[in-house]
Amino acid sequence: MTGDAAVHVVGLRMSFGATEVLHGIDFDVHHGEVFCLLGPNGAGKTTTLEILEGFTAQTDGHVSVLGMNPAAQPARLRERAGMVLQECGFPRQARVAELIDLWRSYYPNPRPLGDLLEVVELTEVRNAQVRKLSGGQRRRLDFALALAGDPDLVFLDEPTTGFDPEARRRCWAAIENLRRLGKTVLLTTHYLDEAEQLADRIAILRAGHIELTGTTHEVAARAGLDTRISFTTPSALRCGRVPLPGGIELSVRGPESVCHTGNAAMTLRMLLDWARQNSLGDLEGLAVTAPRLEDTYLQLTRDRP
Amino acid sequence: MTRTIRLAARQALLEQRSFWRSAEYALFTFAFPLMILLLIGAANAGSHLPGTDIKRTTVFVPGILAFGVIVAAYVNLGSKVAVLRHDGVLKRIRTTPLPSGAYIGGLLVSTVATVIFITAATGMIGWLAFGAAPRPGELLALAAGLVLGTVCFATLGLAISSVITSAESAGPVAYASFLPIAIISGVFDPTFSGLPDWLSRLVDMFPVKALAEVLQNAYAVRPFPPWNLANLGLWTAAGAVFAVWRFRWHAT
Repeated sequence: MTGDAAVHVVGLRMSFGATEVLHGIDFDVHHGEVFCLLGPNGAGKTTTLEILEGFTAQTDGHVSVLGMNPAAQPARLRERAGMVLQECGFPRQARVAELIDLWRSYYPNPRPLGDLLEVVELTEVRNAQVRKLSGGQRRRLDFALALAGDPDLVFLDEPTTGFDPEARRRCWAAIENLRRLGKTVLLTTHYLDEAEQLADRIAILRAGHIELTGTTHEVAARAGLDTRISFTTPSALRCGRVPLPGGIELSVRGPESVCHTGNAAMTLRMLLDWARQNSLGDLEGLAVTAPRLEDTYLQLTRDRP
Repeated sequence: MTRTIRLAARQALLEQRSFWRSAEYALFTFAFPLMILLLIGAANAGSHLPGTDIKRTTVFVPGILAFGVIVAAYVNLGSKVAVLRHDGVLKRIRTTPLPSGAYIGGLLVSTVATVIFITAATGMIGWLAFGAAPRPGELLALAAGLVLGTVCFATLGLAISSVITSAESAGPVAYASFLPIAIISGVFDPTFSGLPDWLSRLVDMFPVKALAEVLQNAYAVRPFPPWNLANLGLWTAAGAVFAVWRFRWHAT
């Protein structure tokens, strides 16, 4: 029934008291992919993760993680799934390598210590006390501990929230390393660029509903968004010496002219014909942009209250 | 089972290493009782309990033994677990397949090690500096009293950890909840008196005086109410029930 999926979720519902926070969501995470649960704060991302991690039992619906029921077999699941939670501390006086080594002892088939230090780029601070690490280094130590048991699946709950750009980049590099190791990764984030950068597939979760699922491009296309074509507004057009092109909804926004279209090739041909007829050359600054995740996301957020 | 024991031992080793690396824990746990032992002990050296030929220090040293057990087992373990919970370390442990018994077991083994160290240090210094030694036939009773006291106060430490709400208040709450009782119970001055009757009766109900009297009795023939053992047993049971009932892996 679960087929080949590493994570299989059908009709998942969760209520706290009288409040339902997950209204029956479905998604699959395939083996070896980086899957991103994207959504604003309070959408139900962490709740979903906590159910998949076996911390909370769902109110209704079917959940299978690596073929197991998380709520029923949490200990067995944790031998094969690594977890990076939001805001989890370390023992204050422990040293980096010492702590990773202790974590390795919890698992039947741990990854070698040197390997773990390398994957998360902490070899240089291996003997430092944990409390002396920077925020980014601590997050990467989180990764190392989650990887200590050489898991097949890694859960990452908002791994870069509150990080500066440099720390985020290194964190992303660590996640890329996980992909290279062949791990299945399920990550949550409310950052669009993070989802776009890291994820093979995305599910947009909003107010307890999955709005869309697919690759970045699929999600954008399925949202019915148009391709955006823009170019630098020619001065002749700006002072009205040239007519607007017919058949195209072109909006002149000061220095930039923009149009949205469902048929990029045809619109482009029409634009270039119009430019040639009016001696505007090749249209300086011409850019054709496929719909981005951000556009989809913003549209979804705008459309529904 | 062997895996759980092996994991608990590893956990205990890291806890002990961390303990000795942390100036605050090691200093308070060791320096405080030993300093009191030397200062008050020196002030009382040579004098006797009124109406007896028992040297004051002979009763004072086992009082400090009790104090050391309480600091190591109750204050230390209680504030340690509160900090681990507040920092999210307990929550992180839950993400691993480590059996919870192995984790808690490791913390307890480390606590027992600390109790052994402080008891040995107090006993040795008491003997060398003040000539206080257990009565020849009472070594076993002393050991039994120390074990019972450690079990009782470690259980109460786990219980109090659930009452502490922040890492900053962990140490102060743990100390404040027993130090006044220790003073009124006569741990530092066995002849401490002059309290209203109801207050001294109330204080007698706590396990601090019971443990002190059990240990004092191993050093000198003292009045030894048999309910002292029952007192420690009851507090252990109550502490265990509360600790299990209120134990949380994450801060609320």
